[in-house]
Amino acid sequence: MTEVTLFGYVVPMRVILVRVGLVVGVATTVSFCLTMGLSVYRSGKNTRRERVRPDLREELLNRLFADEPDWEGWVDGLSRMERAVVESLLDDNLRELDGREADRLRDLGDALGIPERAGRRLESRNEYDRLQALTWLTLLCRPDQYVDSTFEPQSPRERAAVVTLLQVSGTLPDAESGISMLLDGTNEEFTVFGQDTLYRVARDDPEPLLRRANRSYSEWPEPLLTQVLAVCANLGTSVRDGDLGWLTAALETENEAIRAAAAAALGSFGWNASLRDQLFLERATDDPSPRVRAAVYEMLAAWGDEKALWILLFALVEETHPRALTLGTAALVRRRDRIETDGDAVLGDAWAWSLEHAEYDQLARTPNRDGVTG
Amino acid sequence: MHSIQHLLGTVLLLFGVFVICYYLVVNGGYLLLHVLALFELRDDVRDSRWNPPFRRFSSPFYPGIGIVVPAYNEEATIVESVQSMLSLNYPELEVVVVNDGSTDATLDRLVETFDLEAVDADIPFDVPSEEIHRVYRSCTDEELLVVDKENGGKSDALNAGIWLTEMRLFCAVDSDTVIDRDALLSLVRPFLEEPTTAVASGGVIRVANDCVIQDGVVESVKLPKTGLPGVQVMEYLRAFYSGRLGLNRINGLILISGAFGLFQTDAVREVGGYRQDTVTEDFDIVVRLHRHLKETGREYTVDFVPEPVAWTEVPSTRRVLGRQRRRWYRGMIETVVTHWRMLGNPNYGRVGSFVMPFFVVAEVLGPLIEGLGYVVLPLAWYFGVLNVEFVLVFFLLTTGFGIFLSWFGVFSEVWSFNRYDSPWQVLRLLWYGVLENFGYRQWKTLVAWRGLLEYLRGVDTWGAMERTGFSTEDD
Repeated sequence: MTEVTLFGYVVPMRVILVRVGLVVGVATTVSFCLTMGLSVYRSGKNTRRERVRPDLREELLNRLFADEPDWEGWVDGLSRMERAVVESLLDDNLRELDGREADRLRDLGDALGIPERAGRRLESRNEYDRLQALTWLTLLCRPDQYVDSTFEPQSPRERAAVVTLLQVSGTLPDAESGISMLLDGTNEEFTVFGQDTLYRVARDDPEPLLRRANRSYSEWPEPLLTQVLAVCANLGTSVRDGDLGWLTAALETENEAIRAAAAAALGSFGWNASLRDQLFLERATDDPSPRVRAAVYEMLAAWGDEKALWILLFALVEETHPRALTLGTAALVRRRDRIETDGDAVLGDAWAWSLEHAEYDQLARTPNRDGVTG
Repeated sequence: MHSIQHLLGTVLLLFGVFVICYYLVVNGGYLLLHVLALFELRDDVRDSRWNPPFRRFSSPFYPGIGIVVPAYNEEATIVESVQSMLSLNYPELEVVVVNDGSTDATLDRLVETFDLEAVDADIPFDVPSEEIHRVYRSCTDEELLVVDKENGGKSDALNAGIWLTEMRLFCAVDSDTVIDRDALLSLVRPFLEEPTTAVASGGVIRVANDCVIQDGVVESVKLPKTGLPGVQVMEYLRAFYSGRLGLNRINGLILISGAFGLFQTDAVREVGGYRQDTVTEDFDIVVRLHRHLKETGREYTVDFVPEPVAWTEVPSTRRVLGRQRRRWYRGMIETVVTHWRMLGNPNYGRVGSFVMPFFVVAEVLGPLIEGLGYVVLPLAWYFGVLNVEFVLVFFLLTTGFGIFLSWFGVFSEVWSFNRYDSPWQVLRLLWYGVLENFGYRQWKTLVAWRGLLEYLRGVDTWGAMERTGFSTEDD
């Protein structure tokens, strides 16, 4: 074989190939050993766990419904592996059960020493360890370990986990504190869990969120603002007061996803007289984006009073985009009992189509049906 | 005569040098992708092992999803498929079955089982598909919509479904795909966490052959008993847990499998829906979304989520597999040719400057060059320019490296979601990683060449997928 020059050195090709071969061989051998080793380890662990799982589940349920569960006595007699299985069963059941059964299961958590361990794991440098600890404290409703610790949540996920822990255990001082913890000093968008946490806090008392949004919305990145708007859209009728200037301003932004989300959120605030301003509504129904106009039509239908529905009807008559027209008409059809109009004549195919679908929706929800045409 | 021989020898030698350089570049790229995939998988595994304390199903933020199911002559399985899709765990779901001009009793089965009635109103907007005869609604299942239309092919049927769903997102699935019960809850995550930018997300497709499936749920995961589907399991693992994860790390995902992908409905309508003149509409739609969104200057993300899983039956005979792979190859060339302006064009971000060029070099040209190599070797030997020792070492090295990359995919599987939980199955998977290099890989180069010839001849047929059906506990 020939020789090649590498960085000024003449090296026989054979030497290069042998060395490359060695590297590939070692890498392949290592990946084989790692894969098989890991597979054997995980399989063995799973098999041992699955073998004892049915008996432990049965025992857990028997004790759960017994007069005196004696969790300590049971746990003391379990091996380390069996305890791990019981912990996983406990996790599953605590996510499903409420009330007295859940309270009893929490005592099992105490018997397993989970709160103490979780308290120690709050000091871990690994974020996922800390999140697991907070999750256990939440499932067990044991906030003391967190309250007594020096742990300060850093990431948005940790903040959400702490707020959930405090809320579930009834130790969150008020919604204001929850909102502060979730939104202070952060510009990152929420995870699904974080957004749900924000919603549950705001549902109890929407005012702090609305105040915060009014103050900070212009500084929030677009994804975060959209998520907050989605939360507001789901607050429903619980919102009775607050400055909504930020919502109408959001309806004027450049991003159509934000404008659509703002329109959806405004659906919850139909009581507010400032929103009935003719100019504002004209601008909204004239939005250049069909997606936003469709959301505005939904908003007007959500308000549901006669004036809003007439504005909706007039906007639909002017609507040129078939998809927006269909969506808007479907929204109006849902409120057809509140407005006297000959939809068929005014909105044509879109009305007939939406009406048919509304009737089938209704039919499928009703027991003992005979069909729309029958 | 001597000079011609000399010239041929020189050409063959130059080809050899080119092949060596080519393999260095391509395998370097693959290694980079695999390493990126490992980092991505590490993050995903950590995420998936933390189960936050809330009830996902009761969260009000999950956007509506329309599952679009094109069906052509599926009378034997359509009812079970639809029932399985209607029972997926997701808060707001609509199943849109598009009967694409079936000549069997597909529609009748649906009408009987789900108590369907024809909607007595015209569709109030244009649908870019073949003529729609009727739209049916169910008197028992509010979530079900059935469209009966003239036959127009899969893309055409998908377009009808996309235009008729009112859901913000749609999930394109094949009617015989089995989706994990909670898969949509995970697949939708990018749309919740990046609400202003997410346009598409894709999950993992796994091989269902020999798995035990009961009532639309995979009860027991088994590795196929025969070699051909077994090798495909290996390929799927490598493609999803290495290729797509690695591309996802750099926001360069250009392929979401047609059997299981979630898209923003408006975005797909905006680009005109699926193209009907291509045989790999799933590849084309993602590339077209990238292209359109970059050209309109919009910020967007296309994500890969490694845990939600859909199961599909893969071909178990060489004839059917060859047909499928030729179609994939033709479609790949079609898409690359259609979007050639993106190649190496930095205006299309990483997709244009790295992903597409690498894809062309590795996936499109790779099998052709390899196939050519197998022809050139005996020629080089004949003309006396073949260094047999070098060729053998080179073959062993490239094969060894190929095995290493395949095993990397298996390791990712064992380390992460470990669906093949028996070490014997894992050992067989590793064996398939070796086996595919001797015969199967060479056969694929032949398939690629045939695919290229078919493309040049303008062949645009799909070819039928012959299915043996899933195993149930009763079998």
